[in-house]
Amino acid sequence: MSTSPSSPTRIDAQPGEVIDRSTTIRFSWNGTSMTGFAGDTIASALMANGVRVISRSMKYHRPRGYLTADFWDPNGFVQVGDDPNVRSGHRLIENGMDVEPQNVWPSLDHDVKAANGLVGRFLTAGFYYKTFMRPAKLWPQFEKVLATFAPGGTVDLDTPHRLHDKRYIHPDVVVAGGGPAGMSAALAAAEAGAQVVLVEHEHHLGGHLLWGSDADRAVVAHFASALEKAGVEVLLNSTVTGRYEDNWVAINQRSHPLAVERLIKARAKILVVAPGLIERPYVFAGNDKPGVMLSGAVRRLINLYGVKPGSKAVVLTANADGDATIADLERIGVDVHVVDARKGEGIVAADGPAKSVTSVEGADGTKIDCDLLVTAIGWTAPTSLLNMSGDRPVYDPQTARFFPGVDIDNVLSTGGIVGDGMLDEVIDHGQQTGRLAADRAAAVAHRLQAFTARATPVHGDEPEWTPDRRSELPRDAHPELFRSSTHGIVDFSEDVGSKDLFGAAAEGFDSVELIKRFTTATMGPAQGKLETVNTVAVLAEARGETIAEVGTTVWRPPYAPITLGALAGRIFEPVRVSSIQPWHERNDAVPILAGAWIRPEHYGDAAAEVRNTRENVGIIDVTPLGKLDLRGPDVPKLLSMLYTNKWMKLPVGSVRYGLMCAEDGVVLDDGVTARLGEEHYLMTTTSSGAATIWEWAENWLQTEHPEWQVHITPVTTGLTSINVAGPKSRELVGRLTDIDLDPQSFEYMQVRTGSVAGVENCIAWRIGFTGELSYELHVPSGHGLHVWESLLEAGTDLGVKPFGLEAQRIMRLEKGHFIVGQDTDGLTKAPSTGMSSLIKLDKDDFAGKAELGWAMEDVEAPIVVSIQTSDGTIVPREASQIVKAGTNEILGRITSSRMSPTLGRSVCLGQVAPHVSAPGTELTIVLADGTRTQANVMEHHAHFDPEGERLRG
Amino acid sequence: MAKSAGLTAAREKVGRRSADSSKPPRYSAAGLLSRGARKTTWPRVWRDVPLQKTYDVVIIGGGVHGLATAYYLATNHGITNVAVVDKSYLGSGGSGRNTAIVRSNYLTPEGVAFYDRSLDLYNSMSLDLNINVMFSERGHMTLAHTDSALRTMNWRAEVNKLQDINSSVIGPEDVKKLAPSLDTSSDPRYPILGALYHPPGGTIRHDAVVWGYARGADHRGVEMHQKTEVLDILVEGGDGPDGKGPGGKVTGVRTSRGDISAPIVVNCTAGWATLISDMAGVKLPISTRPLQAAVTEPVKVFLPTVVVSGSLHVYVSQTDRGELVFGASVDPFNTYQVRGSLDFTEELAGHVLELMPGISRMRLLRQWAGLCDMTPDYSPVMGFTPVEGFLCDVGWGTYGFKAGPVSGEQMAECVATQQTPKLIEPFRLERFSTGKLVGEKGAAAVGH
Amino acid sequence: MLLVPCPNCGPRNASDLVYKGESHTRPDPNLVTEAEWRSYLYLEDNPAGWLRETWYCRSGCRRYFVLERDTTTNEFRNPPVPGAKIGGKA
Repeated sequence: MSTSPSSPTRIDAQPGEVIDRSTTIRFSWNGTSMTGFAGDTIASALMANGVRVISRSMKYHRPRGYLTADFWDPNGFVQVGDDPNVRSGHRLIENGMDVEPQNVWPSLDHDVKAANGLVGRFLTAGFYYKTFMRPAKLWPQFEKVLATFAPGGTVDLDTPHRLHDKRYIHPDVVVAGGGPAGMSAALAAAEAGAQVVLVEHEHHLGGHLLWGSDADRAVVAHFASALEKAGVEVLLNSTVTGRYEDNWVAINQRSHPLAVERLIKARAKILVVAPGLIERPYVFAGNDKPGVMLSGAVRRLINLYGVKPGSKAVVLTANADGDATIADLERIGVDVHVVDARKGEGIVAADGPAKSVTSVEGADGTKIDCDLLVTAIGWTAPTSLLNMSGDRPVYDPQTARFFPGVDIDNVLSTGGIVGDGMLDEVIDHGQQTGRLAADRAAAVAHRLQAFTARATPVHGDEPEWTPDRRSELPRDAHPELFRSSTHGIVDFSEDVGSKDLFGAAAEGFDSVELIKRFTTATMGPAQGKLETVNTVAVLAEARGETIAEVGTTVWRPPYAPITLGALAGRIFEPVRVSSIQPWHERNDAVPILAGAWIRPEHYGDAAAEVRNTRENVGIIDVTPLGKLDLRGPDVPKLLSMLYTNKWMKLPVGSVRYGLMCAEDGVVLDDGVTARLGEEHYLMTTTSSGAATIWEWAENWLQTEHPEWQVHITPVTTGLTSINVAGPKSRELVGRLTDIDLDPQSFEYMQVRTGSVAGVENCIAWRIGFTGELSYELHVPSGHGLHVWESLLEAGTDLGVKPFGLEAQRIMRLEKGHFIVGQDTDGLTKAPSTGMSSLIKLDKDDFAGKAELGWAMEDVEAPIVVSIQTSDGTIVPREASQIVKAGTNEILGRITSSRMSPTLGRSVCLGQVAPHVSAPGTELTIVLADGTRTQANVMEHHAHFDPEGERLRG
Repeated sequence: MAKSAGLTAAREKVGRRSADSSKPPRYSAAGLLSRGARKTTWPRVWRDVPLQKTYDVVIIGGGVHGLATAYYLATNHGITNVAVVDKSYLGSGGSGRNTAIVRSNYLTPEGVAFYDRSLDLYNSMSLDLNINVMFSERGHMTLAHTDSALRTMNWRAEVNKLQDINSSVIGPEDVKKLAPSLDTSSDPRYPILGALYHPPGGTIRHDAVVWGYARGADHRGVEMHQKTEVLDILVEGGDGPDGKGPGGKVTGVRTSRGDISAPIVVNCTAGWATLISDMAGVKLPISTRPLQAAVTEPVKVFLPTVVVSGSLHVYVSQTDRGELVFGASVDPFNTYQVRGSLDFTEELAGHVLELMPGISRMRLLRQWAGLCDMTPDYSPVMGFTPVEGFLCDVGWGTYGFKAGPVSGEQMAECVATQQTPKLIEPFRLERFSTGKLVGEKGAAAVGH
Repeated sequence: MLLVPCPNCGPRNASDLVYKGESHTRPDPNLVTEAEWRSYLYLEDNPAGWLRETWYCRSGCRRYFVLERDTTTNEFRNPPVPGAKIGGKA
């Protein structure tokens, strides 16, 4: 263990500490039980327990300790139970928490792969592109070895999907960042009348003020209470992870009392970006050794958690924060040696054994003993949210950092990201920003409402768009410090050093994008928050150019990584069922998913269901059939436009079948439409086609023929549909209905309305998808189950049985009816279906007319035909290919196939090339096992009852 | 379609220019060791040379397609006076934004033949180009959640088998064996009924492919010009305005760094194919849409194959670095904007957790978008156009990366022989006036 | 997520609507040549700039309408007038 219990590092209570020393928390690290206080992060608790080595680096497996000790720490990833890659600088400890190091083998203390460090000189960035090519056979083995270097934690595949939630808000202003500028902006915006949400990434408001003076903390307390009074919603431990189009702002809330995480989606009128600054590491030899820390880490550990990070420190300071760190360290009794970069002093190396720093080498050659090296050499402005809004940051050499480069109307920035200055200047800038945000939010609100003018009248003129007259924050001069005279690590997560970057640049990967891709610098979990500017600076050095000339990369969302669980939320995958579903479930129907629907595939034995339907009578729930209620004087014109056949003279009381094509002539849908009254029709579509066809019909009505008077109402689920089929169906239906079923007065392809089983307003029509005498009943859904049960009860003596989708598919195949989307595909034009007689080119216009005219002349298009294998016991699997005998040349395929219980042999439909489509043509089918079998094209589509005597009976 | 007379001239010049006589160093473990020991660096992957006034062939687009075309022009046909121009850096477009999945289990015989050739070239690429492109032959599974999807998988498998492609439909038990993280129980909303399994499919390091072709082309004398934006295509004698359009003849290109004269210009762009073709007066059947992708933080490797679900519009693979790489279908409307969207990540996460419920604690690290040029039949537009000397290799939709090597090889042949090679016959622009679209439309869905 | 200005419902999340593509006038199928019809079916302007396009407000008013959008910025102009005669091949 790296723990040294003899050197406790928890110090006396600090004035600004956020831990509760009265509450002890027990957790374990790497199998050892430890304690900390409520409010401790894993990092502060481990440091307080003397743990110095937290992880091993990705490539060289070098021991690593805390660098920033916050969310962005590249070395602080740990496994917490089933949660991999937990940011130990941010996650608070909890009782019983099981914390493990990651990326260590076999253990944190003794890592065998550390040997990679010895050969690091040969493992330059991108080395893998240059080797492992020969022998080619061995590459898969090399690959397996490389894969064992994958960093990160372990996924427990049994992790449950805990409660995640989502929330939608429409605030005037979202402020990202709860430091002084952000708090001030949020308060000012709220006081100006805006509805404001303030989002803070950390567990407390205040930003860097928290580890500042008592006066600083008093400012935080003042804002906290003022914000509450002003009604600002403050979200702690929450991150604005992205700004998307039209200010669609994603907030990852990790502090919800019930949900593990919640994704809040805010349509913000104005987004204020105030994330502060992120401290940048310095590049020098040994900069990744445990014991090298950034100033912010040291200040947080001392002031927030009462943890002493070392006993003898060297501090490289180039700014006031470095100076304050020195003061903090000295205050708690640490012996400090100051290296002041502003006076031209510097450091070149941190030395010592692998797991610690024992001395620092100064630029002047001096060697200073220490166990802690702190650097404070400058900042990175995390402009991510601005990049996502279209900003391109601009480098300012005087300040040694990038600044936002573009003004964006509805995204304003404040705080460290735009400048420096004294606290009151920052607060003032935040205040001006908040007021501007509130003004602009009002204008945006008005504009949005004006777009909705038809629904709600807009009052008054649009408020003026307030120009940005904020005074600019000053920028403090800062020396440009990126790399010392020695080489060190630039990307800690990826183990990429400055030397790698020089090498890559020399190889021609000398633009910032190419060097990133080649070396993987900035591609790790911190996504460049710590590394980007140093990468750019080293590249500039290698090219002999300025940072401004090299430019920078664009940060992509998310701002901070977000769990898949949070993004998914509660998983909604709705299904549709008919009103008869409870009966199906009670009667052990085997369900099948058909598009959005769950429906019975069969009730145990599909073949028996077929036989019973052909011999007696069967009933099937066909509710998923798409149904559109059409009313108006111009319905026939619409039908004529949608279908390829004629509809102007369909008599009341009749039903007609039609085929629909898209404008490219490809079959889109089919079904029957009934004329119920003078200006009243009911159209049916395929089950999956209902929504599409409705939109398709509306398109014709709205865009091509707005003069037609037709109203369409989708009634798919409003009507429960039951098909009663079989020779005894007339008798069964007759027992329950007042409709006259006499075959002379209610013929095949006719429709009647009346009552069924006491239910009024039922529709019944005679069609024959199954090939049997059948009545399709459409009854108001509230009574669907009643009608179903009544049919079963009334027909017991007739042998009535339910049948499922599978039996229906068998029967339709026996009859040779094709199914759109199964026997046709995305290229099948109408003539290929053998339904040319339904294509009426003499109509003035209909969808697909032009293309179908040419398609009728096409002699190359495939044809849908019925096929029977010579050996009737063989059922070629659907999709079996039809080939030219003795070759692999494809001539077609089987699109549907089943064993026919009625005929006692297999029956198929297929698409074949026209030259092998004539009845009697012998075909060769390749079966699933690769063997071939012979088959013939049949004369009729129907394998059974080709004259249709049964259904017309 | 119009072919160019300029080729004869181009051929006569074969060998006129060549790269430095000193042979560039080969990549090898020994080279790494000796350079490591001597602490020396490698030479530039491709030279940085001045832009000339004249080339035999100008290729627009420095992605896999453009660079492969240049490479095969030089290696297979000896045509080396070639410039590849790109408005940004090499590989900055689709080549560096795709999810690097390769496969050949297409639906139509012509699709299979074409992509199978591509897979062959990918297989031998590390040795051919002397750069390890890290082709990971990890297998490719397309899940079926409905019986109709299963039927389509069978269709593909049967067509594949007839062309000797290793491709078959497997059941849920085998799916579970290949990818234990998948939920193969019958409970989910989208149960896994089976999968089309294609062992030769896999992933590849896309950047290495770009750099490998660039390096190989460079060694043979081809010039790569980054940050060189094409502003116009110079055309004479066409029917359209300014002498452009059908019947015209290409004379060169106008770039942000000056005019270049060239008898042959090849449009190898993706995302901007329409805009480049407009410059020559050639209208295309293309609409441009973003395709988004995302990557998670790394975790220890647990997913050994590529998994695709058409019904759930998602595909996923795990890199050797441990990151899960996700893709989905193209965005719902045309745009030239390449910003990622939140709804993409939400839908993606929901669907991925449907398939692999155990990974809800993995974190999405980065999302990005690339532009895809979609055509009505999900197949490209390749070869000659009505403007003489202006060729296209565009309209790749979401399949561009997979097809890079074979497209380069065939386009090079097309340029060199002035004939449309058989493999790309089905993809000619004329099909959109004859109405004979490519059959991949038959089973279009997400299909990576 | 993009806000699409529906003439009836006001600005709505793009996911509430369906994009139906470029708006072109449908040729008369009785007079059209094969080349003209296929050009209508398949060829696209696909400009980088202002585009006339058709949207359908699927989750709202269920009306088709034409918008003008700059495909480089996704900015809309000239809010559409409901009920105006529009074209579309969707």
